[in-house]
Amino acid sequence: MTSLTAEVRTGPTEWLRGYRVMTRWELSSLRLLLPLIVAVQVLVGGGFALGIGLFFEEIPTRNALFLTTGVAVVTLITVGFVLGPQLVSNQKTAGTYDFMWSLPVPRTSQAAAWTTVNAFIALPGMIAALLIAGWRYDLPLRVSWSVVPAVVLTIVTATMVGYAFAHAIPKPMITQLITQLLIFVILGFAPINFPQENLPAWLAEVNMYLPFHHMAVVIRAGLTDGLVSGVVGSYAVVGAYAVASTVVAAIVIGRRG
Amino acid sequence: MEVDGWTLSVDEVTKAYGDLRANDAVTLEVRPGEVYGLLGPNGAGKTTLVKQIIGLLKPSAGRLTLGPHDLVADPDAARQLCSYLPQAQMPIDAFKARQVIVLTGMIRGGDAAPVGRRADELIDALDIGEWRDTVGMRLSGGIKRLVGFAMVTAWPGRVVILDEPTNDVDPRRRRLLWEQIRKLGDDGASVLLVTHNVLEAEKAVDRLAIINEGRLVAEGTPSSLKAEDRGRLRLQLMMVPGRPTPEMAPFVHHHTRVGNNVIATINDGDAAHGIGWAQELMGAGVAEEYALAATTLEDVYIRLTGHTSETEVVPA
Repeated sequence: MTSLTAEVRTGPTEWLRGYRVMTRWELSSLRLLLPLIVAVQVLVGGGFALGIGLFFEEIPTRNALFLTTGVAVVTLITVGFVLGPQLVSNQKTAGTYDFMWSLPVPRTSQAAAWTTVNAFIALPGMIAALLIAGWRYDLPLRVSWSVVPAVVLTIVTATMVGYAFAHAIPKPMITQLITQLLIFVILGFAPINFPQENLPAWLAEVNMYLPFHHMAVVIRAGLTDGLVSGVVGSYAVVGAYAVASTVVAAIVIGRRG
Repeated sequence: MEVDGWTLSVDEVTKAYGDLRANDAVTLEVRPGEVYGLLGPNGAGKTTLVKQIIGLLKPSAGRLTLGPHDLVADPDAARQLCSYLPQAQMPIDAFKARQVIVLTGMIRGGDAAPVGRRADELIDALDIGEWRDTVGMRLSGGIKRLVGFAMVTAWPGRVVILDEPTNDVDPRRRRLLWEQIRKLGDDGASVLLVTHNVLEAEKAVDRLAIINEGRLVAEGTPSSLKAEDRGRLRLQLMMVPGRPTPEMAPFVHHHTRVGNNVIATINDGDAAHGIGWAQELMGAGVAEEYALAATTLEDVYIRLTGHTSETEVVPA
């Protein structure tokens, strides 16, 4: 005699249960790819950190510090923007999307599980970039506890933005184009890898309302000493973006066609 | 066993996309203990209906309830109370068979120990023990299908929705699978079986609905649906490609053209006339071959879902 579901489970215990089992599902389902993905992240982060040195004959410490911490930030953002949409695109093209979203766990716990997996994937690349650059350029990195909330807020925002796009746009191809465009914009026109003063005034002004500059500020504040200012304001902006992107993602994934 | 409280009730459910009605005022009930077939050709609206039951789509109009739960208002409850095996492949490439059955059972709300026991029972009952620790990407389509079935029924909901569960499964394990589907009903679940394999459904379901172009066109037990055809034969004419459907002989009850085949029903007593007529058509170069056989549920199905304008649709 098989027991059938009788009670409908709700509340925080159910949310935590959903989060736990879905994290296990996501990690297991990436089991074969995870070492490869992490290795690629480490190579990209570390390689990028080494590569920037080739732009300069001699790189001033402040610039090296700026570029290295910038690489760390870019690593975190790109994982959220690229990997989530790719995963959802794969589910849509393979036809497994309906099954995954018919599973009886709270939608938001499913999203939180995915964010956790993203962190697993993104952090080794970030750490590799910092270690390799620290050794190569002999950088005065000063890691403080505040790097933890800074990294968490950045990963949550990037993952939720990627997630919301991937679910909201029915055509996986369009999602990929949009996220690629976003990465191009971030690398080229957001003051992550270079100081804000280098941008034209209007573009610097625009970036004050976007999260990327502020993500770089809070993470740099957690990794260096005296490199950045206005940290409190940047926390407020990144925090607001993290909340807003989570709310939007929750609405998008809770929506029924 | 309290069973009556858990009837799945689909009441006047309509799902419209602009002018297109993927479901048009569909009404049906699946009772606990029952294996209920949902039959219809591709694009008839079966999957759309299922997706509304499990809360992936929201009906444009109508009500969906399961016992005391309003499934439209509470999609979280819908997902907990309904297990769903979609027609598409399951995302199990990276998992070992038993591992993914247990994990899905736990996601469905079961505790590790009882889910593990149930997984072992299902693995034995479906005779897939050989692949217990094989990763999904190395499994054949049919074994993947059986693992998928075990995943969604390791901790089943009150309603178990199976979309073409026997696809790619070998004949022997197909029988084992039908036994397990029947057992789910015996344990009190309402089983909603989505299929276009009419002959298989005829043997397996207690009741069924035929759905075509979004509308429910017939509902009942297999024998009640066949009642009209009792004492009749099916005369199938394979037409010379491109030839129009000939004028029917007066003793033909219904006929439907499906591709190059014309499928007609005639009385037992008219068998000799039917053969004579078919041979005449062959002689005239209109038909290539003919076959005469007992009618099955498939004849009812073809009559109700056939797409030619000459089709006489007979409401059940």
